[in-house]
Amino acid sequence: MESAGPMIHFQNVSKEYESQTALHDITLSVEKGEMVFLTGPSGSGKTTLLKLIYLAEMPDHGSITIAGWEATELRESSIPFVRRNIGVVFQDFRLLDNRNVFENVSLALRIRGVGEREIKTRVADALKTVNLRHKADSYPRRLSGGEQQRVVIARAIVAEPTVLLADEPTGNLDPDTAHDVLRTFKDIHAKGTTILIATHNRELYRNSGKRIFRLHAGSLLGEEVC
Amino acid sequence: MSAPYAFKLALQSLMKDKWINLLSMLTIFAGLFIISLSFFIFYNINEATRNLPEKFSMVVYLEDNLSREKVDGVIVAVRSRREVASVKFISKEDAFKELKSTLKNSPYVLEGIDDNPLPDSLEVKLRRDAMGSEPVLRLSETIKKITGVSEVDYGEKFLSTLHDIKNGVRTVGIILAAILSTGIVFVCYSTVKILFYRRSDEIETFKLLGATKGFIRAPFIIEGAAIGTAGGLTSLVAMHLLQHLVVLKMATSVPFFNSVLFPANIFMFLPLIGTFLGISGAAIALGRLKY
Repeated sequence: MESAGPMIHFQNVSKEYESQTALHDITLSVEKGEMVFLTGPSGSGKTTLLKLIYLAEMPDHGSITIAGWEATELRESSIPFVRRNIGVVFQDFRLLDNRNVFENVSLALRIRGVGEREIKTRVADALKTVNLRHKADSYPRRLSGGEQQRVVIARAIVAEPTVLLADEPTGNLDPDTAHDVLRTFKDIHAKGTTILIATHNRELYRNSGKRIFRLHAGSLLGEEVC
Repeated sequence: MSAPYAFKLALQSLMKDKWINLLSMLTIFAGLFIISLSFFIFYNINEATRNLPEKFSMVVYLEDNLSREKVDGVIVAVRSRREVASVKFISKEDAFKELKSTLKNSPYVLEGIDDNPLPDSLEVKLRRDAMGSEPVLRLSETIKKITGVSEVDYGEKFLSTLHDIKNGVRTVGIILAAILSTGIVFVCYSTVKILFYRRSDEIETFKLLGATKGFIRAPFIIEGAAIGTAGGLTSLVAMHLLQHLVVLKMATSVPFFNSVLFPANIFMFLPLIGTFLGISGAAIALGRLKY
């Protein structure tokens, strides 16, 4: 059921894959409009935690609240509608190679049933935000890693989600491009979007003044402000 | 999702996997063509035998020396039966005349027969809906019990053979249609399943972006419908080609083919049948897939 409270809340959440602990007894909260970082080494559970937020996985124990919705109580038919409040920058991009940049970005709007005219305006705005308007007709395979990353960001923000999740958004980028991507996130955050960025790139959150959640071997070691 | 976008996705998939789709369409065409051909044969057998019962009559032989009143009584009793369309009295004299006329080229057959050996009789025509070996047998048993009737004769072998032929052709047709229709549904089911697996990455992305099951399913349903409709249309064209290039051409040299009827108004529904079977296959496949 929808209720007032933090935008994302984990209460004693655990998740296992074939008896291997992926997350253990995680409790954390992200407030509305907050931008936070999730860090930890590879295999620490960052991606699993994000998957639990965008409902690609369900917890084995504990409860998760996203934008007021209790994840474990959702009916299967309601999941798509909750996901529409969440924009995701996937680590593996998940771009469709047989569609150009415009079509990839517009997909998030078509799924929501947005009209053709509005799609054109909003996709153009999203591509402008990530400085890729000139690449609208290009196909993903013709783009560099940094450009593909920005297409994914455009797709994640085009529907103006209340929550934006980014899984290693600078993993394949050079420092300059990584800096540009971070600046894009800050611009989006300035508009009031709640953002959770999973990364092991310390440069991304150093001196950011944002809260950092540290994960190790599936457990939350603590949180700090950098 | 807007309907045009679902059609666009379906069209993209039809073009992208054109060989799988073409193969499925040809399989559906073959199935529907065989069903149509069976129906074509059954329809013509049915039409050819439709008028045969009108030539059929039951003969009721009366006892000798029956008074006119009693004969009229028998006629009224027979005519009152629901199955009876008409009753005609044939006197023994008329019957003998007709026999002589029939045997006029073989007069030796009747040599030595001075007295008329034939009885008075009634020629009974039956209604079309009363045709069938069982109802006719029941009627003959009832008529036999009427006072003044000595014997009832009817073409039981003719009737039962006719009945058996029609029933046999119909049964074979229904079984064939059921098997092939199931086959067509299975072809659509398998095609959609293959296409679904080939696009599983794309579907996963759709889901993660918030697509409902309806959004994901719609293009596949349209694709199934398109494959089925194309198969139906092709079989319709093939049936017309068969009629115009084979049956009508053969009719010029073989008179039998002149009486072959082509039920064009029924074959017109072939594309719709294809659409229905295509949608059914796609719907079953999507219902069984986990996504």
